[in-house]
Amino acid sequence: MISLGSIYLLFALGLSLTWGTIDILNFAHGAIFMFAAFTAYLVLDYVELPIIAVVLLSVLVGGLLSLIIQVLAFEQILKRARTKRSAEMQILIGGIGIATIPLAIAQHETKSNPFGLSRSTFDVNVWQFGDVRITNIAVITIIVGIALWAVTALWFRRSKHGLALRAIGVDSEVASLMGINRRQLALVTMAVAGGMAGLAGVLFTYTIGAIVPESGDVLLIKAFAIVILGGVGSMAGVAFGAFALAGVETWVLLNTSGSWTDAVAFGLIFLVLLARPSGVFGRKEVRRA
Amino acid sequence: MSSWYFGNLVLIQATMTGLLMALSVQVPLRMGVFSFAGVGSYGLGAYTAALLTIHLQLGSLQAILLAVVATSVIGLLLGLLIARLAGLYLAMATVAFDLIITVIAINGGTFTGSSTGLYGVLSDFTMPMMFTLTLIALGLVVLSEHGKVGRRVHAVRDDQQLAASVGINVRRYRLTAFVVSGALGGLAGAMNVMVRTTIGPLDIGFHLIVLALTMIIVGGAMSWKGAVIGAVIFTWMPTWLAFVGTWQHLIYGFIVAIAAVLLPRGIHGVFVDLTRAIQRRRRKPATPPPAESEPEPDLEPLMTGPTSGQATPPAGGSSSTSLLRGKA
Repeated sequence: MISLGSIYLLFALGLSLTWGTIDILNFAHGAIFMFAAFTAYLVLDYVELPIIAVVLLSVLVGGLLSLIIQVLAFEQILKRARTKRSAEMQILIGGIGIATIPLAIAQHETKSNPFGLSRSTFDVNVWQFGDVRITNIAVITIIVGIALWAVTALWFRRSKHGLALRAIGVDSEVASLMGINRRQLALVTMAVAGGMAGLAGVLFTYTIGAIVPESGDVLLIKAFAIVILGGVGSMAGVAFGAFALAGVETWVLLNTSGSWTDAVAFGLIFLVLLARPSGVFGRKEVRRA
Repeated sequence: MSSWYFGNLVLIQATMTGLLMALSVQVPLRMGVFSFAGVGSYGLGAYTAALLTIHLQLGSLQAILLAVVATSVIGLLLGLLIARLAGLYLAMATVAFDLIITVIAINGGTFTGSSTGLYGVLSDFTMPMMFTLTLIALGLVVLSEHGKVGRRVHAVRDDQQLAASVGINVRRYRLTAFVVSGALGGLAGAMNVMVRTTIGPLDIGFHLIVLALTMIIVGGAMSWKGAVIGAVIFTWMPTWLAFVGTWQHLIYGFIVAIAAVLLPRGIHGVFVDLTRAIQRRRRKPATPPPAESEPEPDLEPLMTGPTSGQATPPAGGSSSTSLLRGKA
């Protein structure tokens, strides 16, 4: 459960980061996640690689893909959009559109069959601690997930870049008047988010053995839910949302036949939205007349 | 003609249900309500109509009518429940609503046929009925885009506070959006199950949300014409792209991505711009040249005069003059 939560956390963190700051809700995030793992799978067909190399490769692919999407799609949309709200919509839809391209490639190459990373030199082992059985990849996932979240949260709160990003999140026009290079920051943020998606992709694939090209979509909806559950742009919120969703899902999975998992997860989100329309840790939307 | 009609009957039917489903997302969107609940209503309508036909042996029109009533009521209840959400939060809540319906369908046991779904929905539904119902629904949507209602819908979308201040009951309009969306989605689903005779949980998943959104985005989000264009394109594209074989999904993806990025108002928007440009070119020779240069003397003092600070926009004077001239 903690391992699942860490995967959710890594994936949703990137989504929340770009959405909460530069106002880009990237619906291609799931496709980036999937495609990074897919690239690793293709490369492993030719060379055997240790897990470190596989991870680095996926992070690189994820970051690069995210950058390309930002430059070719989202920047173009923002350039043409008339109002902020229409831009928001366009970006959402553009992301969905773009996501179909990597999905189509992966579906074509794998014939929509599951693919895994079993050809790397890394083997998944089970460790036994008393009654608790845990795999080495779960330990890695948990450590990486929580560490990266902590680093991001600190960076967001303490560093100059983090301050700039938060400023953009509150009021992008004033922020750029203060000398913040919005474009450059947006590119960095997108690359970091993409890298996180790639990392989550490869760790998830190791964890469950194999994924299908459509796995990214499923995770995307869940991440969207996690971000909303926790509150957009809140680092604590993402962690809360990720582990809450993973916890509820695991609990339902253990207590029912399993096919109810999604209904309970989404029912929960529905209820949270009714009680707190801006998420558990959400700040009140900054509105100017 | 008639052989073409019968050869493509399935696609013609799919175009109509696709169009109604796209409209069920487009109508709320036109009012600024970012709701995908229409897709859930599609699933609800399909299951309701199928159950009514199988268990109660109702006639097709009664089953469809009851399904539409049911989805409208559920749309209203949903609207009452989540009316205070806005933007993407509302979108997420409605996505959750859709997915919960899918999961209920999977877990419904023999009642909903679980993962295999319901089949053998045989009824007396005919094509003239389908055309008539589609045209009635489309006609009502078209009416809502014109006249007083159309203007009010515009007002509610563009500025809610402003709309409320001129006496428009914004809340009622937003609730109506949910009801209409539920009715359209329910109609689409019910009719689809009548012509297909089966419905399963796989037919109503997340991909249906993406499809509905894709149709109205590529077609155009602000007019029913856009929904028609989108429904036609995305129903028939697999046939047109058959020659590229297994790569058709990739081409499909490129078309969606390019349209989403480069055509903010969809293909319909491009048509509107083109016809405006053509009209303008036609009208130009008709207007005598003096009339064209006339505004300039009037405007020049305004631009440079002492009152310019209030009267003119901060943009460069020359560009706004040329803009005005273009319009005249």
